[in-house]
Amino acid sequence: MGGKVTCTLGEVKQRADFIIYWGGNPAECHPRHFTKYTIMQKSKFLPRGRKDRTMVLVDIRETKSVKAADIFLQVRPGRDFELITILRAMIKDQHVADEQLAETGLARDVLEDLVARMKSAKFGCMFFGMGLSMTRGKHMNSAALLTLAAEMNAFTKFVAMPMRGHGNVTGADVIMRWQTGYPFGITFNRGYPRYNPGEFSTVDVLVRGDCDAAFIIGADPGATMPQPAIDHLKRIPTIVLDPHVTHTSRLARVHITTAPQGIAAPGTAYRMDELPLPLKPALKSPYPTDEEVVRRINAAIADKPFWLPEGSQPQMLTAQV
Amino acid sequence: MTLQIIDNATCTFCGCVCDDIQLHHDEVRIHKANKACVLGTAWFLNHTAEQKYPAALVDGREASLDEAIEVAATLLHEADMPLVYGMSNTTCEAQKECVAMADLLGGLLDSHTSL
Repeated sequence: MGGKVTCTLGEVKQRADFIIYWGGNPAECHPRHFTKYTIMQKSKFLPRGRKDRTMVLVDIRETKSVKAADIFLQVRPGRDFELITILRAMIKDQHVADEQLAETGLARDVLEDLVARMKSAKFGCMFFGMGLSMTRGKHMNSAALLTLAAEMNAFTKFVAMPMRGHGNVTGADVIMRWQTGYPFGITFNRGYPRYNPGEFSTVDVLVRGDCDAAFIIGADPGATMPQPAIDHLKRIPTIVLDPHVTHTSRLARVHITTAPQGIAAPGTAYRMDELPLPLKPALKSPYPTDEEVVRRINAAIADKPFWLPEGSQPQMLTAQV
Repeated sequence: MTLQIIDNATCTFCGCVCDDIQLHHDEVRIHKANKACVLGTAWFLNHTAEQKYPAALVDGREASLDEAIEVAATLLHEADMPLVYGMSNTTCEAQKECVAMADLLGGLLDSHTSL
């Protein structure tokens, strides 16, 4: 689980009587999250369902999710980290100055009420979205929120979980962690995996122009990335695997059409709580699956000479007696 | 023509990965996705088994799968610092192959998570 204080959505459904959504808009982005896993479900421990649960929404603006919330806290844009840090101080009854509070745009009594509710909950769960993890502070915000969840366990059961978009992006984290020891932002350029987000993460690599070829699978950076990154993808040979001819396919040297996962391609996908689920494809696609194409490209690469000169390849250390 | 039904199918549009969808489909397309949300319904109904696109494109012209695989392997092998990126809308089995590719190439490996 990568050190996170977390749980499965099944536990949230059965037990969580206090739910915070931070920087996410589940009503529009994860429409069944409320009804299937969180606030609407009745369970053995929460027999009255919605009435037994409290839902807090923290965001920089009013979204459609506000309607579902009991409490809405409008934090000033880019001040999430400050707010989390203040909450971490307040749960431990440490002093917080008025000017520090003013920075977040929230009143002291509102936060004192929130802290009291958090502490009196039986099982609290914080879901955080891209509004927290992709804005000022980025992964430091996520780390702060996960720390808050860990520290809340001095008072009551508390967990945190990221709201993942994009189908199987959780699976990518899990597979990379399993295969390399790191979840993303990895390089193999010394023959073994190294991890450093900011240096090896894609946007940074592309904007600096560090890579001289790109293999894009199950993503469309040509539609989502900043312009300097797209410009670099145009300059270098780019290879795209996608069920559709995408924006990225149009600027690529090679596009290969593949079968869409879960619709025509079988396999496994991870849910946001890192639970693997089998896919049940309904259709037979005329195109090959991603797995098959990548495996064939790998075989073709393996036929060519290895990139490190003979004798300088990393060797497995064997025990010396 | 009667439609075939798949119970408890898995939707991979968003991170919820709902696994209780009932799909009504024929050979070519999915006609109904019961229990799916707005986003999931669009996801299931917009993908068909029709051959809408060429098998592969190399430098903008249509190419065979074999040719495209060979060109892709050559381009990646020639590069000093190739990047393997994405892996969101694909299966874990394919993701594992992508890790193997980055390892084989001595390249960079990254997913949507870092965006």
